[in-house]
Amino acid sequence: MSRDLVTIKGGKDGFRLLVDSSASMEEIEAEIKKKLDENPGFFPEGTKFELEVADLDRSVKKGINQILNQRGLGVELSVKKDPPPTIDEQSQMPPQYFIQHDGNVEAQEMTVVEHTVRGGEEVTSQGSVLVMGNVNPGAQIIAGGSIDVRGTCRGMVHAGAWGDISAVVIADRLMPTQIRIANMIARSPDIMEKSDFAERAYIKDGQIIIEPIER
Amino acid sequence: MSEVIVVTSGKGGVGKSTTTANLGVGLAMRGKKVVLIDTDTGLRNLDLLLGLENRIMYDLIDVVEGRVEIKKALVRHKKYENLQLLPTSQVKDKSAVNPADLMALCDELRKEYDFVIIDCPAGIEQGFQTAIAGADTAIVVTMPEVSAVRDADKIIGELGRSEKDNIKLIINRIRPAMVDSGEMMDMDDINDILAIKCIGQVPDDIKVVTSANRGEPVVGDSDSQAGKAYENIVGRLLGEDIPFMEFEKEGFFKKLMKAFKLSKD
Repeated sequence: MSRDLVTIKGGKDGFRLLVDSSASMEEIEAEIKKKLDENPGFFPEGTKFELEVADLDRSVKKGINQILNQRGLGVELSVKKDPPPTIDEQSQMPPQYFIQHDGNVEAQEMTVVEHTVRGGEEVTSQGSVLVMGNVNPGAQIIAGGSIDVRGTCRGMVHAGAWGDISAVVIADRLMPTQIRIANMIARSPDIMEKSDFAERAYIKDGQIIIEPIER
Repeated sequence: MSEVIVVTSGKGGVGKSTTTANLGVGLAMRGKKVVLIDTDTGLRNLDLLLGLENRIMYDLIDVVEGRVEIKKALVRHKKYENLQLLPTSQVKDKSAVNPADLMALCDELRKEYDFVIIDCPAGIEQGFQTAIAGADTAIVVTMPEVSAVRDADKIIGELGRSEKDNIKLIINRIRPAMVDSGEMMDMDDINDILAIKCIGQVPDDIKVVTSANRGEPVVGDSDSQAGKAYENIVGRLLGEDIPFMEFEKEGFFKKLMKAFKLSKD
């Protein structure tokens, strides 16, 4: 098996691009294009990659940037690391329908589903998702932003699917098979309890926390 | 005004054919002109439940391929003259009929009959798409079991995507004692998930099996709880407002009463 010249890894803060410094520009270019074409829908426009290489030639860096730019993607040159929100900030955070790219907050379109999402159905949105009905077992909601279910949520929900750790999941009765937020997964207890009040799930201290809310 | 109904479920073994046969006989007993269409090509058994296997001359495929007139392929029920069965082929497969064929067939039959009831095959593939094509109403049959409810949910979604919005639910094979002890999903749980109008709750009853083996649907049998439940469904299909029956749990006292013939049932 040949060694991967280019590896794309999804991390907490977005995607990292690992490049073998011994490879030639042509090899790198072919490899990146191949990787991106394998999953065309996976990297939305505007996604930035963090380049992780110490001794990469400047021309190669420039080359990679060009390849990505052609596809509406980009390289994040200086590594910015926002400090993770503190506990206080997080618990006071309103459910927000924004997704963050690069520190620029842009309003995202919110997908409103006006019916019950039944088993086998999948709702995918770059932004947030509002379901005016139930999410039944076997259904999937995948949102770049937050997910709000005005009904009973029994399916699988993935908020912040492209790495937004501030995304939340809210439901009138939150009893999903799995909750995923960004790169974290929580599964339901094996014996499901009936929940009687609205709840919110969010990430706190690197864990998915579920707490009751007023609504 | 005639109605084309498809009986479907997604999962196999929940009682689609049994329900079709019972509704057909029940409606015929009420004097309606009914035709039942078996669309489970290759795995036909609606004829067995009605005890009509030995009378089949032609089948759905012969009609669709234009070899015979519809009238010639219809098999009349032994007891009820206004009940007809259009059986399907046991040797061909589901690809022999397409949705347009069935739609045309339903429109033809609708002119002469009050009810056209289509028995749908299990699954969500071509056979299902064909069976639902011509229907005005869909009856989804499920049972109090997680897998059956999950599949029913999927089927309701599929029906919605095919723009079939008139969907009704029958919950079959309920075991009241198990529901009471919490070992079986209760009706409220199922209705909460599926959220469509429920028109029938049918208890599990050995008479359903014995009567199927004889080829006589249980619906006319006043000794059977399932028979009564099916009669109620027939009434609800005809627009009557009938409350759901309370199931009897065969307790010791009841059995004792029965032994001394003190109880009517």
